[in-house]
Amino acid sequence: MSQHLQSALTEPLVEEVERRAEEAGVDYEVTLESLNQWQLAWRKFKKHRLAIIGLGILGVLITVAIVGPFIMPFEFNSIPKPDKIVPAGRPPSLVHPFGETGGLQRDVLLLVVNGARTSLFVGFSSMAIGVIIGTIVGSVAGFVGGFVDNILMRVVDVMLSLPLLFVILVASRFFGNGNVFLIVVIFGLLSWMGISRLVRSLFLSIREQEFVEAAKAVGVTDRRIIFRHILPNAFSPIVVSASLLIASNIVTEAFVSFLGFGINPIYPTWGNVLSNSLTFLLQGNWWWPFFPGLMIILTVLAVNFVGDGLRDALDPRSRA
Amino acid sequence: MTEPKVVAGVGVPPPPEILLDVRNLKTHFHVMDGTVPAVDGISFSLPRGETLGIVGESGSGKSVTALTIMRLLDIPPAEIVEGEIWFDGKEILSMPIDRMRRIRGNDMAMIFQEPLTSLNPVFTVGDQIAEQVETHRKVRRKEAWDRAIQSLKLVGIPSPERRVKQYPHEMSGGMRQRVMIAMALSCEPKLLIADEPTTALDVTIQAQILELLKEIQDRTDSALLLITHDLGVVAEMVENVVVMYAGQIVEEGSVDQVLMTPRAPYTMGLLASIPNVHKRGDRLSVIKGVVPSPFNLPPACRFEPRCPYAWDLCRREPPELVAAGGRGQRARCLLHTPAGESRRRDLLEAVETLVDVPAQQEAAAEAAGA
Amino acid sequence: MSKYVIRRVVQAIPVLFGITIVVYLILLLAPGGPTARFANNPRVTSEDREAFKKAWGLDQPPLIQYCRWMGLCNPDKGGNVLGVLPPPDAFIGNTGWPQFLPTPISGGTNGVLHGDFGVSIETGEDVGARIGRAALPTFILVGLAFIIWVFIALVIGVNAALRRYSIFDQAATVFAYVGYAMPTFWLGIMLIFTFGGPGLNILPVSGMTNTRASPPFGSDAYWTYFGDHTINALLDIGRHLILPVFTLVVVNIAGDSRFIRASMLEALGQDYVRTAKAKGLPGRVVTFKHALRNALLPVVTNIGLEIPFLFTGAIVTETIFSWPGIGSLTIGATRAFDYPTLMGVLLITSFLVVLANLLADIVYAFVDPRIKY
Repeated sequence: MSQHLQSALTEPLVEEVERRAEEAGVDYEVTLESLNQWQLAWRKFKKHRLAIIGLGILGVLITVAIVGPFIMPFEFNSIPKPDKIVPAGRPPSLVHPFGETGGLQRDVLLLVVNGARTSLFVGFSSMAIGVIIGTIVGSVAGFVGGFVDNILMRVVDVMLSLPLLFVILVASRFFGNGNVFLIVVIFGLLSWMGISRLVRSLFLSIREQEFVEAAKAVGVTDRRIIFRHILPNAFSPIVVSASLLIASNIVTEAFVSFLGFGINPIYPTWGNVLSNSLTFLLQGNWWWPFFPGLMIILTVLAVNFVGDGLRDALDPRSRA
Repeated sequence: MTEPKVVAGVGVPPPPEILLDVRNLKTHFHVMDGTVPAVDGISFSLPRGETLGIVGESGSGKSVTALTIMRLLDIPPAEIVEGEIWFDGKEILSMPIDRMRRIRGNDMAMIFQEPLTSLNPVFTVGDQIAEQVETHRKVRRKEAWDRAIQSLKLVGIPSPERRVKQYPHEMSGGMRQRVMIAMALSCEPKLLIADEPTTALDVTIQAQILELLKEIQDRTDSALLLITHDLGVVAEMVENVVVMYAGQIVEEGSVDQVLMTPRAPYTMGLLASIPNVHKRGDRLSVIKGVVPSPFNLPPACRFEPRCPYAWDLCRREPPELVAAGGRGQRARCLLHTPAGESRRRDLLEAVETLVDVPAQQEAAAEAAGA
Repeated sequence: MSKYVIRRVVQAIPVLFGITIVVYLILLLAPGGPTARFANNPRVTSEDREAFKKAWGLDQPPLIQYCRWMGLCNPDKGGNVLGVLPPPDAFIGNTGWPQFLPTPISGGTNGVLHGDFGVSIETGEDVGARIGRAALPTFILVGLAFIIWVFIALVIGVNAALRRYSIFDQAATVFAYVGYAMPTFWLGIMLIFTFGGPGLNILPVSGMTNTRASPPFGSDAYWTYFGDHTINALLDIGRHLILPVFTLVVVNIAGDSRFIRASMLEALGQDYVRTAKAKGLPGRVVTFKHALRNALLPVVTNIGLEIPFLFTGAIVTETIFSWPGIGSLTIGATRAFDYPTLMGVLLITSFLVVLANLLADIVYAFVDPRIKY
């Protein structure tokens, strides 16, 4: 018998229990583990089967996105010689498991692997920009309060009232120029509002808690309170909403590129591949749009699973 | 959802003067980490019109007992492993849920601990009482509504005609608990189960609500099953007491017997831990250790790790509930068996000094007189 | 109650004002401006471009452009004369009240504040009229889908909560996860391929009406045709609706059904549900009166917040299925750098969001007796 006691057990009590167990001739081992927050979270995360699957899928996707283009037998910008017999593309086969496109007859797998690079890059880095801006705005609003808070939150209200999909479209078209980095910045600039509201509300609730008052009472500086006491507590909810932001930004990027307003169509992002496929769709080239879409679904599913797992793992109220 | 597991071998009904007869009831919970024997073989009976208190710490299984009697537990995770519950001459655990539904709120009513969360926030209190009357009495809306007003008057709510149209959030905590009681009484039940009825209330309101419960119990000759952790409440309200620990009954008897001359070490400890104004300055006596994990109960006596009188036999021989002290008082302790006989005598002196029986009797007397 | 409503409306005004500024700023900051439409046209000289700018007043300082767009100045008092700053009394309307007040008070008819969104650069039509014309197909499409998906989500969500962890619940969970992860445009493409492609070809995949059988939707000729052949016209629209409505429903059930399930589970776990059972009420009363009534409170708010979606949410679906609504209008205007139309669309949809928030709060205050004013 082994029992994990995480807290509330003091040494003498453990000894007492073990002494009695020994007397009674029972194998009764008490392990006093002091797990830190991260070990605890990881233990809870591991129990979340879907989250582990999601993490696995993400890991494979990221590896493929980074390594894939180097080990693939072709390069995406070298155009294969179209086969004159079948200009309309070819369905999946052993050599081309995802099929070949119509027209230039490119390998869909190759396009998808290269697309993963761009899509994941856009998803993660725009999330990072959004989280940074959101955290700063939310922290300032929540910590300074008063007039500054009022102004910042009205700005958030206004931004959230805009039809973001429209704004992203218009902004990508007018400012983006098909440039990946500009698109990332645009997405980041338009995705911080939720996080900032979240961080602000956390600040307001944490600020009132006793440990922060105690810290203030002993003369800890504001900066230290923010970075050492408040932000670590705000970490978990930020991580969870950040994961959802990755998913939504990947889908939005695909959509914007699909409409031709996003990343330069010569780059094979998932959205661009989908967009190009439309011309040949009615000739039966289903594999052309099918696989990039499948990858989007897989990525978003994986990210959502991981997000769910993180939510459970980082919630101190849930049990290990 | 609450479809029962068929209980095999239903025995003979109790004599008609017994309203509620619980026999060897075992309610277990199947949860992720294993099985929790929340109620583990308890038996007691409650004659018509009388009062019985169930006392215990949180986690002792007293609330689960009440919910099992009402058949309000979700199955699964709960499972009624064994036992019979006879109510008003019928075995209710083997009853189809629809027949049980007609007993609930009608012949058997329950008052919960939290009046705020136990009342539905989006309906007026009148509506919530009237729907119960409508369900069981097959009367029309108007009559049910009048009945609701009467019930509110019965529990001493001023201007009930106005109050019936209010929502729970518009009332004070004490007023809401009165509403809960009015609701429970609206169909004149034979058995009233009160699960910690005053725990969520202010101290001054607690006394009023207890007074009201007692008064109503006297007036309506319904039986009362009172569940509480508060020995003071027990002393004031009931005739007989059952003390529960870790899912078992550890002591039972009349309220005088149990509070004045406790026979189970657990009850002694419980009584000794009541603060006593006459002993100001003394350290408060507490039962050392914690309630054992339900996944890891001690092999024999469940109180043994915390018991000051335990000896080696207590870790091997599970104690039975045996007669102790006469006149129907029973305790679950080996001290009251032949094996513990000599030990009990030897310990008598030590017990007196350890538990400080006079002081504890004083405390009990004071609680009774409070 | 009315005090509460008034307070909420007053609070919304600065947000609305902020929206006009942000919408204006987005487009002001865009490099190239409306002349970007000529960027790839070698026949348009730089003189042409300057003339274009002058004609549309784009050479004016931003503040003046904003005032003209909003309708802050009275054109009768020299408020809109190009090239000069408006005189101070240009801000006063013909009735003597400030020009920015609503038309009945100030007598002003120009600018956004008086319902005038300007003229489309692309087509020369009135922007308000363009948006109004595109709104009808969008409302038909999304309104129908909205009713269907909210209903289905309610049925799925409530049943999943009642039978938690059952096969049904697990299937609903999987469906929700996949539906949530599925990009709308991909589902649309796959549907087009399946039902309109070389295989089946049984459903129309593009547009709102059969343009070979009837005049273009929205034209006067169409309404004459509609009057003469009502049943045929409705059937035609109905056939065109099937795929886009299906797409919207599948994608949107996911989130809503999960939300309703969570809300219902929360309600079912409450003490008052146990009380209702303890009172001996029949199961359906416990579920549908006590639990569902409470579970619907947050759902009302959530659905209220989805109302603006009736306007914007179909942008993807409309594009895929060439549905002649707001989404297609926006995409077209974005392609053509049609600033006035884009500003109009952004502004109107943002206002709808604010309005929906307001409505959701007010409705919530009605359905939850605990909210006090």
